[in-house]
Amino acid sequence: MIEFDKFTLKNGLRVIVHRDETTPMAAVNILYNIGAKDENPERTGFAHLFEHLMFGGSINIPNYDEPLQMVGGDNNAWTNNDITNYYLTVPKANLETAFWLESDRMLSLAFSEKSLEVQRSVVIEEFKQRYFNQPYGDVWLHLRPLAYKEHPYQWPTIGKSIDHIEKATLEEVKDFFFHHYAPNNAIMVVAGNVDTQQVKELAEKWFGPIEKRELATRNLPEEPIQNEFRSKRIDSNVPLDAIYMAFHMGRRMDEDFYIIDLVSDVLSNGQSSRIFQSLVKEKNLFSSIDAYITGEFEPGLFLITGKLVKGVSMETAEAAIWEELNKIATIKVDEYELQKVKNKVESTLVFSEISYLNKAMNLATHELLGDANDINKEVEKYQKVSVDDLLNSSAKIFRKENCSTLYYYSKK
Amino acid sequence: MENLYRNTAPKFKTVDSIEILPSQKHSLSNHIPVHIINGGSQDVVKIEFVFNAGIWQQKKPLIATLTNSMLNEGTTSLTASEIAEKFDFLGAHIGFSTSKHEASVTLYSLKKHFSETLELTADLIKNSIFPEKEFKTILTNRKQQYQVDHQKTNVLAKEKFTELIYGKNHPYSNSYNISEFDNCSLQEVKEFYQTNYTASNCHIIIAGKVDEDVLTQVDNLFGENKWLKQSELIDHTYQNIGSKEKTAFVCKEDAVQSTIRIGRKLFTKTHPDYTGIQLLNLILGGYFGSRLMQNIREDKGYTYGINSIMLSHLKEGHFVIVTEVGAEVCKAAVQEIFLEIKRLREELVSEDELSLVKNYFSGEMLRNLDSPFALSDGLRGNLPFGLDNTYFAKFIKDLKAVSAERLMQLANEYLKAEDLYLVVCGPKECEDALVTIN
Repeated sequence: MIEFDKFTLKNGLRVIVHRDETTPMAAVNILYNIGAKDENPERTGFAHLFEHLMFGGSINIPNYDEPLQMVGGDNNAWTNNDITNYYLTVPKANLETAFWLESDRMLSLAFSEKSLEVQRSVVIEEFKQRYFNQPYGDVWLHLRPLAYKEHPYQWPTIGKSIDHIEKATLEEVKDFFFHHYAPNNAIMVVAGNVDTQQVKELAEKWFGPIEKRELATRNLPEEPIQNEFRSKRIDSNVPLDAIYMAFHMGRRMDEDFYIIDLVSDVLSNGQSSRIFQSLVKEKNLFSSIDAYITGEFEPGLFLITGKLVKGVSMETAEAAIWEELNKIATIKVDEYELQKVKNKVESTLVFSEISYLNKAMNLATHELLGDANDINKEVEKYQKVSVDDLLNSSAKIFRKENCSTLYYYSKK
Repeated sequence: MENLYRNTAPKFKTVDSIEILPSQKHSLSNHIPVHIINGGSQDVVKIEFVFNAGIWQQKKPLIATLTNSMLNEGTTSLTASEIAEKFDFLGAHIGFSTSKHEASVTLYSLKKHFSETLELTADLIKNSIFPEKEFKTILTNRKQQYQVDHQKTNVLAKEKFTELIYGKNHPYSNSYNISEFDNCSLQEVKEFYQTNYTASNCHIIIAGKVDEDVLTQVDNLFGENKWLKQSELIDHTYQNIGSKEKTAFVCKEDAVQSTIRIGRKLFTKTHPDYTGIQLLNLILGGYFGSRLMQNIREDKGYTYGINSIMLSHLKEGHFVIVTEVGAEVCKAAVQEIFLEIKRLREELVSEDELSLVKNYFSGEMLRNLDSPFALSDGLRGNLPFGLDNTYFAKFIKDLKAVSAERLMQLANEYLKAEDLYLVVCGPKECEDALVTIN
């Protein structure tokens, strides 16, 4: 049970406070309700590039990092297709420094031409490092547009291509800021060795004066239902053949989300899971294989990714995966197996609650999705899942016409 | 309402000392040392069994890691899949890791299932049988992973760099050819297990909710006199042959970035200059605000990231700068790195920068040592040096005393350009980056 207090400032900023006395630290996590899905299709990668610019100085504070480091703090941020999340940790006595820094960059950035120029280059190097300088690094650049034809999930957070990032202008940066970065589009969680009264005072003092802003309306295109099998072949300079299969599934908040998450656990969570035991250990078809869900807010993907053992043909490997998928879609999982994955989920949640920062991020996400207190209902939602649920959801998802497959061949 | 001065930083406090949850030392009935860190908010236990069974102790490449990672592949009473099934059902996680001098088995368990999960752990530590089929599967998969890893410029550069400073066959370099996968036998793995995974070669670290029950259960399962018979441990010695050649280029024609490694061999954390070098390392490339990060990334945009590390193995250590940069700016990046090192030798660090890094470093330690699990990792790293976690308090105290003059002396002693090794891995066009220091 994670206890917390919640209040909202007049400008719409939602604030959540969670006290954890076991740490001498305090975390401030600010989630902005803006992700890669909100981008113009001609300017993809912008939300993430923007995240970099948030460290380039704000209206009254020329350097974000230095004052934070001076008080023993540390920070980072990440962007995904749905949200942009900023977090920092400081020794508890220095909490006010965090409020000072975060409120100023919510108020306004410095918008420096130099910062934009440098961060464009940094992000381009990040693009190269992660997507082009690693074997199999470009998989998502191929798989997303194969699975999504209309919805903006068709591009990865880094963007469709490097030239989109090269084109970003300072005007676009300003425009983006004032339409998405606002107290009424953010959720702040303060967690660790803190108390609510102190947080209330600091929040009123530093964030209270920031004006509410008019937000861009979100109008995401609906992804049409896929009704035929899609595939793409890549021949690349990699040592092993690999296969990537993507199936459409529902939203994070759909009722069957927890069911499908458990389906992925039955298939691939832990060494006793089905596809590890059968395809890696018994049949020696794959050197590694995984099944997982993207967990995105809008209708997401169920993925199966595997590297083939040398000498195994793509057809054999693919057929073996389908055999496992057909099995779970036609024969009920037994009660013991379901109980096993439920136990694992429960244990994972207990361990994840060790970290105050982790709790802060999760509270923010749950609040955005509906209610921070849902964090305390997760175990119950998993416990309610039945073997019939697993069967029905598997049958719904694991159909050939709902599948996009990327065949990644080694040229060697 | 009070006036808001947004351009003035609020008052703050520096971290002058940190309170560290102390560890207690016990021993089992058979004298295995047990270190306990009791605390935390969750009903969970982490127990780590550490054996002196690392890369250093093996006679051939791969043997130490294979032995360690095969411990859950079958025991005299359970098959690999039965073991996996039980751990998963109890929501426990069992991890295996091999480092230069040690190998360990770590169990993360809910407290309520500890007796069952510990029993399983005892079985695989004491009664492993290393089946042939599982051995073959693991070898195949590891070999494939090796092939994937060796497509990466950072892996290739790291191998070449440690080869240059320690010598190809030294355990701290641990680079080996792919043919080794076809050269190792199950017999060697079994022998390594028999010799090294014994009660007399083990110590235990327990963290989390550790009560009397936990200790009794551990003593019942591991306190008996002989689990695996005592064996003669060989004290391996290695010749450390650093290369005379100070630079190397590894060609990876299809790479879109090149990896740069610059550094040298140094000492371990027991050396009197270690604290000072850590601070110097921090200033140069040890955190986001570091000079290299500010120059190479935040000013020039050459890279997504650049870091420097001071690493202490048990017998020796090394200092190294690592980055991946666009091929077209490789030479310029190398030059800038050498310039930043030169600045450390020739200019005093300002008082502002010095207090900033000291504050940041103490905050970082407070942050990283705030839970029993984190402290157990710290303790594991300290024990081989004859230290415990009181080391951290002393470290902070010593750190605060380092002056700008001392840092300049250290830079002149340890960071001379002619003592540094340089490795670049990338497309052919990057080879001229080596010219910089020749």
